[in-house]
Amino acid sequence: MRLLKRFLRDLGSKYKPSDVVNINNKRFASTLAPPVEIPELVYTGTYLGQNRQRFEPSSILLQILAEEPSTHKVYVDRDTAWLFVVGKDVFDENIIDRTAGVRLGGYCLVRFGEDCFGYGRYGTRRDLKVVKNLFDIGDFLRRE
Amino acid sequence: MERYRAMGSTLSGDETTSQAIRVNPLRTKDEKLVETLTEQGVELEKIPCLDHGFKVIDSPFSLGASIEYLLGYYSLQETASQYPVQALQPRQEDRLLDMASAPGGKTTQAAAYMQDKGIIVAVDINRDRLFATENNVERCGVTNTSIHHVDSLELPDKEGFTKVLLDAPCSGNYVTDNQWFKRRTREDIERNAELQKRLITKALNLLESGGVLLYSTCSLEPEENEQNIQWLLENHDVELVELDGPGDPALTNINGISLDQKISYCRRFWPDKTGTQGFFVAKVVKQ
Repeated sequence: MRLLKRFLRDLGSKYKPSDVVNINNKRFASTLAPPVEIPELVYTGTYLGQNRQRFEPSSILLQILAEEPSTHKVYVDRDTAWLFVVGKDVFDENIIDRTAGVRLGGYCLVRFGEDCFGYGRYGTRRDLKVVKNLFDIGDFLRRE
Repeated sequence: MERYRAMGSTLSGDETTSQAIRVNPLRTKDEKLVETLTEQGVELEKIPCLDHGFKVIDSPFSLGASIEYLLGYYSLQETASQYPVQALQPRQEDRLLDMASAPGGKTTQAAAYMQDKGIIVAVDINRDRLFATENNVERCGVTNTSIHHVDSLELPDKEGFTKVLLDAPCSGNYVTDNQWFKRRTREDIERNAELQKRLITKALNLLESGGVLLYSTCSLEPEENEQNIQWLLENHDVELVELDGPGDPALTNINGISLDQKISYCRRFWPDKTGTQGFFVAKVVKQ
């Protein structure tokens, strides 16, 4: 829970997942009760993400956070969103809009329209401000 | 091919199936997605018999790697395989068991019909393929599903589900496997048919009275289809439901052997007529 809590706090979230369970290092909320007892559970309810070096969010959690008013967000166009999805960072000049909580050294979600593509750390790289890609939904392709 | 022709088909053996997508109404609307993909040069055609299915006429990029795919706006799902869940019509209040869920296309489709309410229990014996179910459930934004790595045959015999989807392990068909005729033997077909009977029995043991079992295969072999339904009618207290929609009425006479006439309520997909892979769908209500 420590990494998950830190992840939520870093993004300015007030989301408090209920009934969080750990299955094979993956975290789930709002777990379900099947009508018949069935063994070998591997996935249940709302998948939040998993602990790796840092907490790696699910796309479901990213979307929950994207809809939360208090979270830190930057908005980009479709081309930039696509580059982010293939693992690239977002240059400051490609940020169309941002919420008040976005500050250097902090974390933010990367959004195009209503959709969330991942999150990163807003910092500097060779004197350029960038959102360094920490996780993006292109991960679905890398898993296969 | 002779075997199929003896059943009345006009198959040539050269049949193919087009790529198709299924829009995920949990994440977007059909019109909105079609508009977005069309703007990117994708040519789609609505499949009339399906609620959210579109045939892919042309695409300048891989539809399995687009932004919209990653966001769960649609799934790649062959036309015929979109039909079973549509025929089952899961609802919000259902407790649905998906007995052979991997890779999860039908699981996420069922979740969409249920508007992500109720509960789906998705199981599969193959752990590697079950990872795909997990990924698809996550990608499509589904939260009403519990996934278990277990052999369906080892589930307890306890009534608890209102609906069961048994898209049974089967021999497949030559449309999606060009080595099919070299790879498959009559023994495979008979072995699969026996396994399917055991799975059907298990499904009925888990269903409440009045519950619905949807049985499907992507096989053209009558042993795995009509003959299994004949066995089901002879050995269990069920009522067949008449299905409309794509495909032909299932066969009631196979090589001179007459089956229950109600088996025509089931649907058989001959690839030359439907433009899909081979498929079979049956729906029964447990009495």
